Amino acid sequence: MSELQVGDKAEVTAVKAEQAVRRRILDMGLIKGTCFKVLRVAPLGDPMEIFFKGMYLSLRKAEAEGISVHKTGRTGDGVPMSCDKEGITCCGGAK
Amino acid sequence: MQRKEISVALAGNPNCGKSSLFNVLTGAHQKVGNFSGVTIEKHEGHLDYGAYRIRFVDLPGTYSLTPYSPEEIVTRNYLIDERPDLVVNVLEGPNLERNLLLTTQLMEMNIDFLAALNMIDEVEEKGISIDVKQLQRLLGCHIVPTSAKKKIGIDSLLAHIVRVYEKNIEIRKNKLSFRPEIEEAVDAIAGMLKREKEFEAADPRWLAIKLLESDREVYHRVQQYPVWVKVELALQEALREAAKLYDSDPEMLITEDRHAFIRGAMKECVRFPEERKSTVTDYIDMVVLNRVLGLPVFLFVVWAIFQITFTLGSPLMDILESLFGAISAAVEPLLVNPTVRSIVIDGIIAGVGGVLVFLPNILLLFIGLSFLEASGYMARAAFVIDKVMHRFGLHGKSFIPMITGFGCSIPAIMATRTLKSPTDRLATILIIPFMSCGAKLPVYVLLAGAFFPPDVAANVMFAVYLLGVVVALLSAKLLKSTVLKCDSEPFVMELPPYRWPTLHSVLFQARLKAMMYVKKAGTLILGAVVIIWAVSNYPHSDEIDRWAESESVRIEKSAGSAADKKAAIEALEYRTQSLQLQHSFAGRVGKVIEPVIKPIGFDWRIGIALVTGLAAKEVVVSTMGTIYALADTGESSGELAAILKNDPSFSRATALSLMVFVLLYIPCVAAIGVMKKEIGQWRPVLLYSVYVLALAWMLSFIIYRSALLIL
Ligand SMILES: Nc1nc2c(ncn2[C@@H]2O[C@H](COP(=O)(O)OP(=O)(O)OP(=O)(O)O)[C@@H](O)[C@H]2O)c(=O)[nH]1
Ligand SMILES: [Mg+2]
Repeated sequence: MSELQVGDKAEVTAVKAEQAVRRRILDMGLIKGTCFKVLRVAPLGDPMEIFFKGMYLSLRKAEAEGISVHKTGRTGDGVPMSCDKEGITCCGGAK
Repeated sequence: MQRKEISVALAGNPNCGKSSLFNVLTGAHQKVGNFSGVTIEKHEGHLDYGAYRIRFVDLPGTYSLTPYSPEEIVTRNYLIDERPDLVVNVLEGPNLERNLLLTTQLMEMNIDFLAALNMIDEVEEKGISIDVKQLQRLLGCHIVPTSAKKKIGIDSLLAHIVRVYEKNIEIRKNKLSFRPEIEEAVDAIAGMLKREKEFEAADPRWLAIKLLESDREVYHRVQQYPVWVKVELALQEALREAAKLYDSDPEMLITEDRHAFIRGAMKECVRFPEERKSTVTDYIDMVVLNRVLGLPVFLFVVWAIFQITFTLGSPLMDILESLFGAISAAVEPLLVNPTVRSIVIDGIIAGVGGVLVFLPNILLLFIGLSFLEASGYMARAAFVIDKVMHRFGLHGKSFIPMITGFGCSIPAIMATRTLKSPTDRLATILIIPFMSCGAKLPVYVLLAGAFFPPDVAANVMFAVYLLGVVVALLSAKLLKSTVLKCDSEPFVMELPPYRWPTLHSVLFQARLKAMMYVKKAGTLILGAVVIIWAVSNYPHSDEIDRWAESESVRIEKSAGSAADKKAAIEALEYRTQSLQLQHSFAGRVGKVIEPVIKPIGFDWRIGIALVTGLAAKEVVVSTMGTIYALADTGESSGELAAILKNDPSFSRATALSLMVFVLLYIPCVAAIGVMKKEIGQWRPVLLYSVYVLALAWMLSFIIYRSALLIL
């Protein structure tokens, strides 16, 4: 996940971090099957901000490394995001 | 009338509006802010409602019942050990999906609860529609839409609390079921526990789920009993099963099943608008979190707060100053007794008034800080600055208490409870006092205002604040790379949408702070001032008086013009006053310290002020006010700034050196007390005090010496 670029959309395939970190990531709702979009990276290159299920989450690249994803698409610059057609979770709502 | 008591806990995710709701319900004034982790301790309040007295408990926010940071443990322990009659699960309406995770865990707990669907105003604004009836059915609990901001649904919530408590309305409790393999394991373990009388009171199913989730506390609880042998086997079996079937583990599967349940409920009950419109938050963040602009914006915001504090504050301060001048002039002729006159004029008015004149600056500072906290910028600042903080071995989240520290170190030190790693926490606690608190502000305003032109003064102050931050970061680095070595905690933080702080709440907070400041001036500082006045007046030397008497006679008799004589008498008066001061108790103590602080440009008077400043930093100003007023012969209308400017022993270099010393040296006793309480031991606190003293001395020395060379 840490390799994703700003604007990329991806789906979580597995969360494999150290236990406490993993628990926190899971509690935030970033579980297998969640679609999210990379909104931006902080001015100094770390952490990054993602958007999913209607919320904005920031996490360091070190934490992002524990999350495996597969890229599903890409929409422009990443800000602001409009609703995407395929991933229901991505924009926080079902059609 | 004897009222029936109902205990109700407010539980929910961070930043969902629990404290806001608590305040509306009980009329309390708990701190509210738009970032996670505002509340760090439980707070109680009550409300009389009909025949009931409802006792509410506001808890720190938590994302789940498997806690993570110290303040979240408070919540979990409260819910599990204290067992309130009822839990109100506060939900952040616009962010329902994540909030429901905690709800599913409450469902497992076999506890009476109902949900408050809070921020319903924002839900409507965003065009989200929620089928509350259906959601009630799925979750098996009552749901009351509320808005703490617009005060919607409060009565309905109260009515529901009573009815649920009295079991007047029941909703069939719903049980969340996991996938078959997990259910089997849960049943097996619950079955084993059910037969043990130790666990009769606790809910075996809940214990079993927690065991499968590898919850450390439940582990410890069960481990003490012989049944553990069997349970452990079952747990291992479940682990193997999960690995074989799903290439996963039970904890993960349980979480996934909860989320799947939530997903289903969301699909069924919640409709989002077809097209997601870009929100104000999106637009603001485009600028504020921009790769190029992010850091400049951050620096600008902090700079602007101090600029406003100083520039907007100083005309108001002038007004107060002339007010106290007028009071002093009006009172002086009324007081005949010279001792009383001196206490009132040199002690109380110079000391307490000297502190009170900074009220406008303090107010503006707090308004600025509360705007930061309430708007949602705090989390952004942490996001922007995390990399820097990480460099210095800290956490982006450490930055939030650090900003709070600009107001007062005490709540800031307590706010570090949101940090999970104990070493991060300790490091943050120890550097917070370098974040110059509001009480140090009067010292800077006084000195910068007296020795620098108005346009430079604000920047001088800003530079002092910056120096504090730099020292804080470097100290953190030093700590983390020596005594507190440990990998730092992960950074996973939610950025809440921006919310406009209501004028009412900002003003209310400001009023509260102003009242606290005035109260402090009227109690602690007044007391300190009277003591300082006494110790700098007694013992009084008659010998010096006699000497002054004979001197003045000699001058009168000597040849010379009337003007010359007048000047000589004035000089004599000044000398007499300062000899008396030096003879006094304070003067003697000051003289003992003087050799140590001479190299950094301070004389014994400043030495005294620094010692008394340990009680509270404002006292530095009060002490100087009193001591300098005692020695002053009345030319400079009693204003401390003017006295200092005319004092030959006080230069720009002294002013700079003093600002730096006050910035860095030992924090006030109250802050030291809280540090000890939060750390739990005296040793680090004492070592820390020695460290800051040495550091303050060295930096002041460098500043003083270089200022002497340059200025
Ligand atoms: N629009 C709107 N905003 C709300 C409502 N309730 C609370 N807020 C805002 O939400 C933010 C968080 O409120 P708090 O009451 O501090 O939240 P909390 O749950 O106590 O947060 P923690 O103590 O950090 O767990 C603040 O900015 C509130 O002004 C509401 O009903 N509507
Ligand atoms: Mg709160």
